[in-house]
Amino acid sequence: MNERHATTTLSAGTAVGLAGVLATGFVAGWERFWINWIFWFLFVLTIGLGCLFIVALEHVVSARWSVPLRRVPERLSSLAILMAPALLLALLSLPVLYPWTRPEAHADPVIAGKAGWLNVPFFAARAVACVGLWAISYRILVSGSVRQDQERNPRFNVRVRRFAPVFLVIFGITITVVAFDWISSLEPAWYSDVFGVYIFAGTFLAGLAASTLAVLYLMAKGKLPGVQADHVYNLGGFLFAFTVFWAYIGFAQYLLMWYANMPEEVFWYKERLQGGWGLLVLALAVFHFFVPFLVLIPRIAKSEPKRLARIAVVVLLAHWLDLYWMVFPVLGQGPVFGWPELSFALFFIPGSLLWFRHMMSRGAAMPVGDPILREGLEFRL
Amino acid sequence: MSNTAFSVLGLFDSSQQLMEAIPSVKAKVSARLNAYTPYPVHGIGKALGLRKSPVGGMVFVMGLIGALSAMAFELWTAGIDYPLVTAGKPYLSWQSFVPIMFEVTVLFACFTSGLGMLFLLNRLPFFRHPMLRSKSMPFVTRDKFALAVEAEGQALDVDAAAAALRAAGAQMIEVVEQPAPLAPVSPNFLMRVFSVIGISCLVAGCLTYWGVKLFPVTIPMVHMLDQPRLDPQQENSYFGDGFGMRMPVAGTVARIPLPYAVKSQNDASALGNPLPRTESVLKQGRQAYDTVCAVCHGLLANGEPSLTSAYGAKPANLVAEKIRNYSDGMIHFVIMNGKNAMPSYASDLTQDERWAVVHYLRALQRALNAKDTDIPKESRK
Repeated sequence: MNERHATTTLSAGTAVGLAGVLATGFVAGWERFWINWIFWFLFVLTIGLGCLFIVALEHVVSARWSVPLRRVPERLSSLAILMAPALLLALLSLPVLYPWTRPEAHADPVIAGKAGWLNVPFFAARAVACVGLWAISYRILVSGSVRQDQERNPRFNVRVRRFAPVFLVIFGITITVVAFDWISSLEPAWYSDVFGVYIFAGTFLAGLAASTLAVLYLMAKGKLPGVQADHVYNLGGFLFAFTVFWAYIGFAQYLLMWYANMPEEVFWYKERLQGGWGLLVLALAVFHFFVPFLVLIPRIAKSEPKRLARIAVVVLLAHWLDLYWMVFPVLGQGPVFGWPELSFALFFIPGSLLWFRHMMSRGAAMPVGDPILREGLEFRL
Repeated sequence: MSNTAFSVLGLFDSSQQLMEAIPSVKAKVSARLNAYTPYPVHGIGKALGLRKSPVGGMVFVMGLIGALSAMAFELWTAGIDYPLVTAGKPYLSWQSFVPIMFEVTVLFACFTSGLGMLFLLNRLPFFRHPMLRSKSMPFVTRDKFALAVEAEGQALDVDAAAAALRAAGAQMIEVVEQPAPLAPVSPNFLMRVFSVIGISCLVAGCLTYWGVKLFPVTIPMVHMLDQPRLDPQQENSYFGDGFGMRMPVAGTVARIPLPYAVKSQNDASALGNPLPRTESVLKQGRQAYDTVCAVCHGLLANGEPSLTSAYGAKPANLVAEKIRNYSDGMIHFVIMNGKNAMPSYASDLTQDERWAVVHYLRALQRALNAKDTDIPKESRK
């Protein structure tokens, strides 16, 4: 498929998806519309934020191997910026989806006790603050790097190395806010302290999988000359490590709640283990942990493009399933996947791909102005 | 041909020269090649054609065995051998097995990778590696790179190997000889080793014995002994009379246990056993006897318990004639008040249990002093 053909197909997909998205609101109801909306913007947002985290991580630890690959997560992280309007728009979903916005919910002392955090003005302020912090971080981390392509100014490396640790703090706080506000507060009576870390694990994994896929695609296209299997191996190693991290955090959260058996904690799991949702948990265990873990064990699997690409797709789909399993049970029925979900997928996925292609076409595919690029290219295991 | 050569070494100035020499030497010599370098050289394993390390496979298999054996052990202990309700969960709660399975997997995997690498693959302990006597080794640990043609236990064509190395650009050639086999261990040496081990064990044993005997037993932890509670007979300022223990309300009638009005042995002898001699009473007596009395008097009541008494006094032989002639009331009196070194067991046994023990003791006495007439007529010969 040539470039123009691909663009046409993706645009057509997005347009059809958009029609379906609008139809969802008017035909299938606004609850279905908003649940899909927040689910899909969260899916794309977590990929973008995960990539921004990868970029910052490289600067914090002064990694060399990832410098030739850095432009890919940098461009992918613009998805977080793309999703910022979607997030602000989703504030309209508060009265439809979030029970704590209704005054009668405050009869429950648990929800009333959380009113200091869960109230509309503060919620909106946090959403705006998160978007603002991401935009500033993106400008410093990514736009500066892109500008360096022309300016070749090595002072960027010094400045960004000073900012990157600050971003890690911003990231840690904002990702927790996203987890608590947009996912956890769908069921406002629920308590889980580790939930932010759980969402972080999925976010980082999604960013890694998307970056790996994009890197492998660009390598196959010959856009990343000099990038070797050794570089890709590290992405595979990260993917391997963080599937275990995700499983560890996910299971730790479940185990403690299962042991303590407190009503304000277990009801969340009870809803998500009954009926068809129980099967989804099984699928999560298999595809979010066992399959990537076992496939990525052999050394060759971490650098062989075909195998790694397949696993990256599996991990992305598993992240999708993970979010779906957390968000959709609030509709109070079994797992649904009808034409509304399909049109949202058609709208968000080709739309994001179009955006990524557009961003990649705006400059070099590698940070050519970075003085340590050569050192990065010479990296061998 | 030489049967004593371990390997032929050629020294090179740089890693690049070494890497270039490998294919040319490989083409001329069929024996296995090995390299010794002051630091890891990228890609040298592939160039030398080294075998893939079996450590990965070993670790995987042992990790799996670790997980499965932990699971089997937990299933057996928690589900079959000693089912115990913990925190109101079912006996076979797989959730609680997972952390232990995880830890045992890691333990097995770590031990396998560490010990397997050292002992199985590198054959440690191995004190006389031929390379330790090579004159080139000091150079290799500094700034030279050595390529070795190894004999692998077969005859090595030293001249051909040396010629191939020289042709590839080696500056110094060294033939490393197989070391002479170790002299067999002398009986004298063995005697000394075993004597030292024997004497050490003896000294350690004696020290432990005397240490335990001579030093008074100290209580290592007093947590539960040292409680903010009122002990019997303790003073208490809360009540006006200063006593911690209270008198029952006036007119209180004791129901269980019934009052025991016996004051002296003579009174006691007059008391009869209030319980009937039925199978269930004997069973109750046996259980109480085995729990409380058998520790000192022995399961057969013959004063020979499995535990030798820790303090000098020898427990009474309860089946001896003297005790056989005691009345039931007298035996009960001894249980209530103790005798010689024996303390009172009134608080360890209920009234019914005490009388049941008396019945059971009578049965033991009879059994150990049986007459011919006790055997049923049909069985006598």
